Amino acid sequence: MARRRKNLGTNIAAIAVAAFVALPLYWMVASAFKGQADITSAAAVPPHPTTANFSNAFSNYDFGTYLMNSAIVAVATTVIVLALGTFAGYALARLPMRGKTSIMTALLMISLFPTIAVVAPLYLLLRDIGWLNSYQGLVLSYTALMLPFAIWILRNFFLGIPKAMEESARVDGAGPIRTVVTVILPQALPGVFTAGVFTFVAAWTEFIIALTLNNSDHYRTIAVGIALFGGQFTTPYGTIFAASAVAMLPIAVLVLVFRRAVVSGLTAGAVKG
Amino acid sequence: MTVVDTRGDRETTGAVGPGRPRRGGLRRSNARLGWAFASPALLVVAAVMIFPIVFSIVMSFSNVNVTGNGFQLNGTTGKNYSILFGSDRYWHDLEFTAIYTVVTVTAEMVLGTLVALVLERLTVGRGWLMALLLLPWALITVVSAQLWAYIYNGVYGVLNAILGSVGVHNVNVLGTPMQASIAMGVADVWKTTPFVAIMVLAGLVMLPSEVVEAARVDGARGWTIFWKIRLPLLRPALAVAVMFRILQAFGLFDLPYVLTNGGPGTSTESLAVLGYKVLFNDLEFGPGAAVAASTAIIVLVVCLVFLKVFRTQVGEQED
Repeated sequence: MARRRKNLGTNIAAIAVAAFVALPLYWMVASAFKGQADITSAAAVPPHPTTANFSNAFSNYDFGTYLMNSAIVAVATTVIVLALGTFAGYALARLPMRGKTSIMTALLMISLFPTIAVVAPLYLLLRDIGWLNSYQGLVLSYTALMLPFAIWILRNFFLGIPKAMEESARVDGAGPIRTVVTVILPQALPGVFTAGVFTFVAAWTEFIIALTLNNSDHYRTIAVGIALFGGQFTTPYGTIFAASAVAMLPIAVLVLVFRRAVVSGLTAGAVKG
Repeated sequence: MTVVDTRGDRETTGAVGPGRPRRGGLRRSNARLGWAFASPALLVVAAVMIFPIVFSIVMSFSNVNVTGNGFQLNGTTGKNYSILFGSDRYWHDLEFTAIYTVVTVTAEMVLGTLVALVLERLTVGRGWLMALLLLPWALITVVSAQLWAYIYNGVYGVLNAILGSVGVHNVNVLGTPMQASIAMGVADVWKTTPFVAIMVLAGLVMLPSEVVEAARVDGARGWTIFWKIRLPLLRPALAVAVMFRILQAFGLFDLPYVLTNGGPGTSTESLAVLGYKVLFNDLEFGPGAAVAASTAIIVLVVCLVFLKVFRTQVGEQED
């Protein structure tokens, strides 16, 4: 009896948590299907469901371009961060270098630094080399912004791989790069996924740097597009949420597919930090 | 050879292999390899993160002239900081950011720990609930800001409809400073508590079950076990989550920029929003850099204090 009551309490609490998290998300998606007449109504289900907002967002406005820009920047950033971060993470986990602890501490601190501290110099420097309103300026900035945390995650995963694996590869005469790519990387694949998901999500959602560096419509990312959309007196919420729902889709799929990787990334921070 | 060298040697004996000569040489070449592997990443971080941070600090002590085709630093000055420290708006924003950080992080830690405890005891649908919890975390903050602005809308927001059904009519929560701050905090808690919950859950799962079992055998029950045994053991995991959250909250930008634009007036203006407005709306790069640099320095100090405390907390876990 007592046990059943305990389970009941847990289940009620779980339902409350789920409702608190899910209801605003539901409201966003439901509103995306409400036409202009219904967007100001509090009806829980769209009275006259319509896809007009979606066609509006992607044919009358440039949300398609913004999504494409976000995808290009996020994918490029993720690839470069993983390529550079894997070797750096391996070196900092395994190879005898002076000052490893200081480097790791510095990286942790940089990864938590408020972005406002770098945005003005970045703007001025990238303006000097003509990289404002470009993909490469944003990718370079994001790579530097997201590498420190990725290196942390990757290093923690490398620390967990048995040393015997790489030793036998080295004894067998494999070069260092081949050892990392063919022996270490497959072992650390969960860590690479984790770092990849975190980097992609961070690049997809980043706002202040994208707002500052890429203000032309042609290179605008989805976060900036959604933030700046709307007139002075009215905000076209239906269109905003149609674009938002589409922008949430790839991230939602990614996070749900790599759920374990994300959770273990948060764990890696908590345990090995 | 010194003790340090011996320890280093032990680290790499594996890679050296049994019976191979010239251990010192191989160790040196492994160190070179380490730098070769790490330097591309470290150089990018140094050039694009560390250099700008330092540059921000230099700029905050300079006369900055921004023209159409470039900018100049004309000599050192303390005037950017004297403008800053003489401005009520700066002190208000510092106070707002600090209070907002303390209140939201406290709320998120308490709620996050409770949610983690629920998740831990949940037997049915735990995976689904965790997947759901990841969605607000992965949502673009700007999107959640627009969503909450819509919910809070003073004319047709759904919050008004809900409040109206219990007899409270025409509330514009974003219209008054206190209510706007609370409304922004709720949006923040909604987005970030799930992140804290999963971090805390990770810590909970790691706790040695024998300790809890032993306490149970000794007659301890429910909340006693939580307060006296599990919570103290959980402190390292909580410390990391608190540090992450404090530093993120202190750099708060996206949410106020879109949800309230710092308003009404400047009542919900964070330091980052102030810095951004001074830099890119007023084009005052000197004072703007001073806001940014002072924010960074506060974060740096908090970070160092935390690392000191936190190191002693997880000392036994250091490798």
